[in-house]
Amino acid sequence: MNLVTTGTVLLGGIAALDATPVGQTLLSQPLVTATALGLLWGDLPTALAVGVVLQILAASTLPVGSRTPEDYATGGVVGAGLALAVGGSAPYEQWRDAAQLVGVFAGMLAAMGGVPLIKWQRRLNEGLSRWTEAQLHAGHEGALAQAHGAAVALAFAVGVAYCALWLGGGTLLLRAFTETESLRLSRAWTLLQPLWLGFGFAQLLHAFTQRKLTRAGVFGFVMLVAWLTLVMGS
Amino acid sequence: MTPKLPTRTLLAMALRANLLQTTWNFERQQGVGWAFALHPALKRLIPDKAERCERLAEHTAYFNTQPTLASLAIGAVAQLEEQRAAGTGPDAAAMQRIKNVLGSTLAALGDRLFWFSLRPFAAALAVLVAITRPASPLAAIVLWVTYASLHLGVRFAGVGWGYREGPSVLGGVLRSSLETVVTLLSYAGCILLGVLVAWGLAPGGEPRSIAVQSALAAGLGLGLITAQRARPSPTQWALGLGVLGVAAIWLRQA
Repeated sequence: MNLVTTGTVLLGGIAALDATPVGQTLLSQPLVTATALGLLWGDLPTALAVGVVLQILAASTLPVGSRTPEDYATGGVVGAGLALAVGGSAPYEQWRDAAQLVGVFAGMLAAMGGVPLIKWQRRLNEGLSRWTEAQLHAGHEGALAQAHGAAVALAFAVGVAYCALWLGGGTLLLRAFTETESLRLSRAWTLLQPLWLGFGFAQLLHAFTQRKLTRAGVFGFVMLVAWLTLVMGS
Repeated sequence: MTPKLPTRTLLAMALRANLLQTTWNFERQQGVGWAFALHPALKRLIPDKAERCERLAEHTAYFNTQPTLASLAIGAVAQLEEQRAAGTGPDAAAMQRIKNVLGSTLAALGDRLFWFSLRPFAAALAVLVAITRPASPLAAIVLWVTYASLHLGVRFAGVGWGYREGPSVLGGVLRSSLETVVTLLSYAGCILLGVLVAWGLAPGGEPRSIAVQSALAAGLGLGLITAQRARPSPTQWALGLGVLGVAAIWLRQA
């Protein structure tokens, strides 16, 4: 395993930590991790193309209350990482486009697959919290720090392992397929990229407008003015 | 009563608030993280180790709120613990009731501010930067700075606000200020999305092909319809649309 691959899977662990257990600063968002991976692999445009689509979908996936939303922290790393691994250095554009499509699909699937994994960690944390309470009753004050250390280590290890599994398996299974079917996949990407972006914009618009007509009017007015300015100004 | 907790203790609590969700679980949710964040205050207020451990165990009970605004609750409860140490504060049952009320009040505002407004706004702003400058890492910096500056600012300052104001921290000026931020972010988000869609239709003033423009419009329309219901999730819809799209291209070129 080379430095780039090691860096990619470690980023999966860091993203898994930032998403919920530590900080929640949005370092784990797909656009941020895709940028880091683009710089690491030396191909920012491929990583960002995947990162933008996954970011728009991630932005409308919210960890409200006790809901376990799709895990776009590892999904973002898997998506951009796989796109870079199967077509980042490809010699022609269709292959790179095909890799981006494969990356977005893998990112979404990894995000969905991450849900049961997070639920499993949360169930393990139930035992940990009971243990902590028992230790505190026994006068062991350090149990709080130990419990947090254990939970951080678990989340990091799961994030690293999950990303490694997806990246290893995905590269092995999909590299040849992406190359041989690059023409069809790149055509699908040409249509699906704007479709996904439009779909994601609508989710965000719904969050911003909250069914208020004035806000929807502001959106429509700005869109028209911006479109006219762009077209007339060019 | 003169406050007993020095700034460095409040800072230690704010730092530990970053780990509020580390041991999140379905049973007690943020309970253990809450006790961990409150530990520096209790260490100062309750010198007897056995009594302190019992109090910490009490705080591992159920608690949940929006994680950024949780800092305000941590500070407010530290003030109550200070009163309790002086023999004037609420008992354990009353403390749990106050925590529950604080948790739900802060969550109602925090979810709207951070999850429904700031996070989508930061994402929309960053995506606009990313599609207009596709070979630059600036978008990631914009995303992180836009969100983290307010998130970390409130997290670190919030413990102090809560400690000074107590359980009434969310009353008055702070609540109305945060409500104003929510409204402003919503309008700014609508403006940003207007620019984003216009750029998607004609990047740099060059209109894209009819097929691409139609796909964007179809996605927008479908998204607005599906957004009315929580299930299936946006990701499940997007995945389904993707599978249909690939199948259509495959059949057309078979």
